[in-house]
Amino acid sequence: MSIVAGCDVGSLTAKAVIMKNGKIIGSHIIKSKPRPKDSADAALEGALSAAGVSKADIAYCIGTGYGREKIDFVNEVVSEITCHGKGARWMLPTAETVIDIGGQDCKTMKLDKDGNVDRFAANDKCASGTGRFLEVMAKVLHIDIDELGKLSAKAKNPITLASTCTVWAQADVIKYINSGVSIEDIGAGVNTAMAVRVAILVNAVKPEGDIFMTGGVAKNIGVLETLEKLIGKRIKRSRKADPQMAGAIGAALLSMEKIDGSGNNRLK
Amino acid sequence: MTVFHDAATRVECDSIARWKKDGKPVVGYTCSYTPAEIFYAVDILPVRLRGIETDGMEVGDSYFGPFICSFPKCILQLAGKGRFSFLDGAIITPGCDGMRRLDECWRKAGEDFEGIVPDYFYYFDVPHKSENHGMAWYIEEINQLIKSVEDHFNVNITNEKLQAAIREFNKGRRLLNEIERLRCEKDVVVSGTDVFAAAVAGTVMPRDEYTAELKKWVSALKKRKTSLSEGKHRVMLVGSISDEIDLFELIENTQKALIVGENLCFGIRYEGNEIAEDGDPIEALAGHYLGSSVCPRMYGKYKERLAMLKERIGQSRAEGVIMQNIRFCDLHGAENALFERDLEAMGIPCLRVEREYGPHIDIGRMKLRINAFLERIEGRKKANKGDGDET
Repeated sequence: MSIVAGCDVGSLTAKAVIMKNGKIIGSHIIKSKPRPKDSADAALEGALSAAGVSKADIAYCIGTGYGREKIDFVNEVVSEITCHGKGARWMLPTAETVIDIGGQDCKTMKLDKDGNVDRFAANDKCASGTGRFLEVMAKVLHIDIDELGKLSAKAKNPITLASTCTVWAQADVIKYINSGVSIEDIGAGVNTAMAVRVAILVNAVKPEGDIFMTGGVAKNIGVLETLEKLIGKRIKRSRKADPQMAGAIGAALLSMEKIDGSGNNRLK
Repeated sequence: MTVFHDAATRVECDSIARWKKDGKPVVGYTCSYTPAEIFYAVDILPVRLRGIETDGMEVGDSYFGPFICSFPKCILQLAGKGRFSFLDGAIITPGCDGMRRLDECWRKAGEDFEGIVPDYFYYFDVPHKSENHGMAWYIEEINQLIKSVEDHFNVNITNEKLQAAIREFNKGRRLLNEIERLRCEKDVVVSGTDVFAAAVAGTVMPRDEYTAELKKWVSALKKRKTSLSEGKHRVMLVGSISDEIDLFELIENTQKALIVGENLCFGIRYEGNEIAEDGDPIEALAGHYLGSSVCPRMYGKYKERLAMLKERIGQSRAEGVIMQNIRFCDLHGAENALFERDLEAMGIPCLRVEREYGPHIDIGRMKLRINAFLERIEGRKKANKGDGDET
């Protein structure tokens, strides 16, 4: 079977995945560079190296993410909404509702039996409820963004952020830091504020069946657990791959469909 | 087509400049409820006011504030920058509350920016119901407008002149309807972008010049053989006011979609029906402009609008509907949600998206949603084909 690739150039990170026989044989993630083309080149190079194959071995490659149109090595481009849907179904074959929180976008999708996006809703207002919100807050708190999620469990008296605006919420966080409130209580408040914004969007598509979350924020346990409480449903986990890679995985699966129709994503 | 694109993409297009050069007056109006025939009847060029070509919002935001639709703000921005200096008059209509506020914001801005309020500045009220007293009120408003125009411009608007203007406008309406029929064919030979440019041009060009150009174009279209719809998804575009050719291009430049119909404040919704050419011309104008309205500003007409949209979707063979609303546009924001609910229940895919108007549109975000929507239509088509194969 042919080797295929998917490349997802997001606003914060760029990801590439190499697949063979429906399995990931190499992947790579980097922080996005100023130019999407450079991000894509570096991500693909890393994934090729991890897979031990060369660019010439790739039979088909689909690009996705906000920088998709600037990638010069792809055969075609597909929106990240479609790719995340495909990737999510592959990671959790029973997934029917997908929540994807990217760097500057938040989307909720409902999938049909074939893993195609049947309905979707995306944030239309601003950066609140996106990965950028968490990134800004982690920076203000002087912690790594990966640490932010763990703070919720350690919080004793979480703060409430009054504003949904990222900039004003940042000002609130600085005020709490200066007042001596613990980092754990502030971090928990940040995670809750994020989950509240996302819950509005999730409820907009009336989630059904198994729910799965993709994108970097899916790794933030604080947001994930608060979101579960807010929507009153469990969000399923999968160990099959990093949820942040779902867009690139979906792009690779669509590449597979293109060349031999084997990217079957039927609901199990 | 060039003349239409020029008229549709420039605030002061060549046609307006030529009209002014002849020393004839131009009156701007803001809403599709203004009977433009009244002006054209006495050699005043009626020009629909638009917000294209704005490159900032410092004037618009100063008088309107941030929490309001960007369309009237763009008009005020252009006014504040002197871009409407060619106007001899302006008619403000309460198409919505944002447009109603344009009246007071423009007047107030006129205190700070000398000469931006035209000498003739008129508030033309429009009822929200077309039955009985609503229609009587609207006819009274038309009569008052006529009297006001006669007094200011020293003209005499007779029934004969009104009927002649109606006849001229109807020629364009008939031609636009011919184009609409072409868009319903299996193989569509004209892009949505071009049709919309032609429709928008009709709101700013002198009507006899417009009719002549449109006639030539329709004749050329009928000879075209190359299908533009082949391999593309047929979509409709509906929602908030739009005169933006860029928005049409944004959708059609995906190379995956062809716009086969629209229900917007500009375009065929505005020009769709002919006006009665006999009988009392004022009653005929009122019957058309208020009576056949399909705009959500009118109360109690949702079911009619849904039925009309469904019919248009069927006629144009649209596979999906893109519903856009300008941020803070309550009328279309609310109606789009209802349309989405009802059309999706009928199995018609819908995309609902909120945006800013014109030059302030966020292209990247819009493109993502439009592409994802077209992929959704594609996926559904493939799935249906697959299910068909299995049976």
